[in-house]
Amino acid sequence: MNKDKRIIDYDALVIGAGIAGGETALNLANNGYKVLLVEKDRSIGGKMILLSKVFPTLDCAACITTPKVSEIARHKNITIFTESEVTNITKNVENKFTAQITKKPRYVHVEDCTACQLCEKVCPVNVRDQYQFGLIGRKAAFIPFSIANPKAAAIDIENCTLCGACEKVCPTHCIDFTMETEYYELHAKTVIMATGFNLFDPLEMPRYGYNQYKNVITSMQMEREIAPTRPYNTILRPGDGKVPDKIAYVLCVGSRDKTVGNPICSQVCCMYSIKQAQLLMGALPMADVTIYYINIRSFGKGFEEFYQQAKGMGVNFIKGKIAKITEKENGNLILRYEDINEGVLKEAEHDMVVLSVGAKSNPTAKTIFDNGTLKFDQLNFIAQSDLMESPSKTNIDGVFVAGTASGPMDIPDSILSAGSASSEAISYLIQNELA
Amino acid sequence: MEIEVGKTAKYLREKQGVPEHLKEELKEFNRIKKAISEALKNEELTIAQLSEKLKMSNSETMYFVTTLVKYGVVAVGEIDDMDEYYSYKLA
Repeated sequence: MNKDKRIIDYDALVIGAGIAGGETALNLANNGYKVLLVEKDRSIGGKMILLSKVFPTLDCAACITTPKVSEIARHKNITIFTESEVTNITKNVENKFTAQITKKPRYVHVEDCTACQLCEKVCPVNVRDQYQFGLIGRKAAFIPFSIANPKAAAIDIENCTLCGACEKVCPTHCIDFTMETEYYELHAKTVIMATGFNLFDPLEMPRYGYNQYKNVITSMQMEREIAPTRPYNTILRPGDGKVPDKIAYVLCVGSRDKTVGNPICSQVCCMYSIKQAQLLMGALPMADVTIYYINIRSFGKGFEEFYQQAKGMGVNFIKGKIAKITEKENGNLILRYEDINEGVLKEAEHDMVVLSVGAKSNPTAKTIFDNGTLKFDQLNFIAQSDLMESPSKTNIDGVFVAGTASGPMDIPDSILSAGSASSEAISYLIQNELA
Repeated sequence: MEIEVGKTAKYLREKQGVPEHLKEELKEFNRIKKAISEALKNEELTIAQLSEKLKMSNSETMYFVTTLVKYGVVAVGEIDDMDEYYSYKLA
């Protein structure tokens, strides 16, 4: 046990500050409960804050997320730990939870940082920007992205050359390389798991040529290309900077595919691809956009209309399974596919290919509870003990699950799930208070 | 060791040092930055033209040029007559 460990007390611990964790924390806090929201990344907002627009309304994702994360960050009942991880949780005999938390140093005193970006300007280091999914570089002293919360600089210590240029120019002297990892022991009455999901890594399917062919990108990379805070001045091929004319989407990459250990539907790749196709038609009016699909699953409210709207705009839909992608000398890509309707093999040439990747469980969720007491389903999503009647309950009394930690779902369903988890948690807290 | 406000990097540098590979990567980035700036000194170039001049792959050139656009070293120029490729110039 670390001697410098600080003991802290909260009503609720929410793990994960994506849209589901944030919503859960907000609901609990609005009901007067003190919440500790723990996030592993440098900003709250999860994956949603990095999206361009949302389907089927085409509302700007940042316009929805920014006020929400700002409300979470300013709430007097919510304390946020970013760059932090819950390493272990045990439940004691008094029905209380004890959690071990590790908070990594940001090397910046967030409360003093004015986000002036002078440190970023003088930092000599360049590394690939993970918030732009590697399409462009960033500095080692940097603000993660323009709508990050907290909007404060951070030092990427793994890549920092410790030249000290950043702290020399910092007008508020908020950069501090003496900061160290902090350890906390938290006592909480309830725990909400909102650990989210991981995107499927297309490197697991070498036949699609991701990373080998530079004009094959993932849907999250395209999401960044069409976002207002995009890496390039317009939509360009990362392979050579060409404005693409013929863009192909390959659906179900790493979804509904037992060969890669993920037999389930991502629930979102049809609709986000259709959304991106519509946005591309708007941004590049002369472009041809083709979506290769197995089935279009437009099951949600307004989804079928959204699909029909894309067809009306001229997006091509081909019921076809892609066997292989190869590259031509000019960077164009040849898609060899089975045309399912005609039952024949065909080939088509495109400038750029977008792999619509699926969703997998987040393995870190599995390591948190002592002795594997929290149950998981076969695909390592958190098991819901009573799916039909209380979908937020887990097998541990007092531990609830919100959002995609229990399985793939879209944003409205994540928000609904967060509402359910917070209601269940509040009900549990009230029952314990009355007992 | 006494730590002075605004000079704390020195403290960590002395405590843990700086890995050699980071120093090498920094040198390489500065070399590429200089080469791109030199190449664009007198003319606007597309990624393919720059790539040929620098003897770098198109994709690496694209990555470094667009990164330098972000850093304010390079600016986006005109698009060609076919509306396919932008050229780049010094900012």
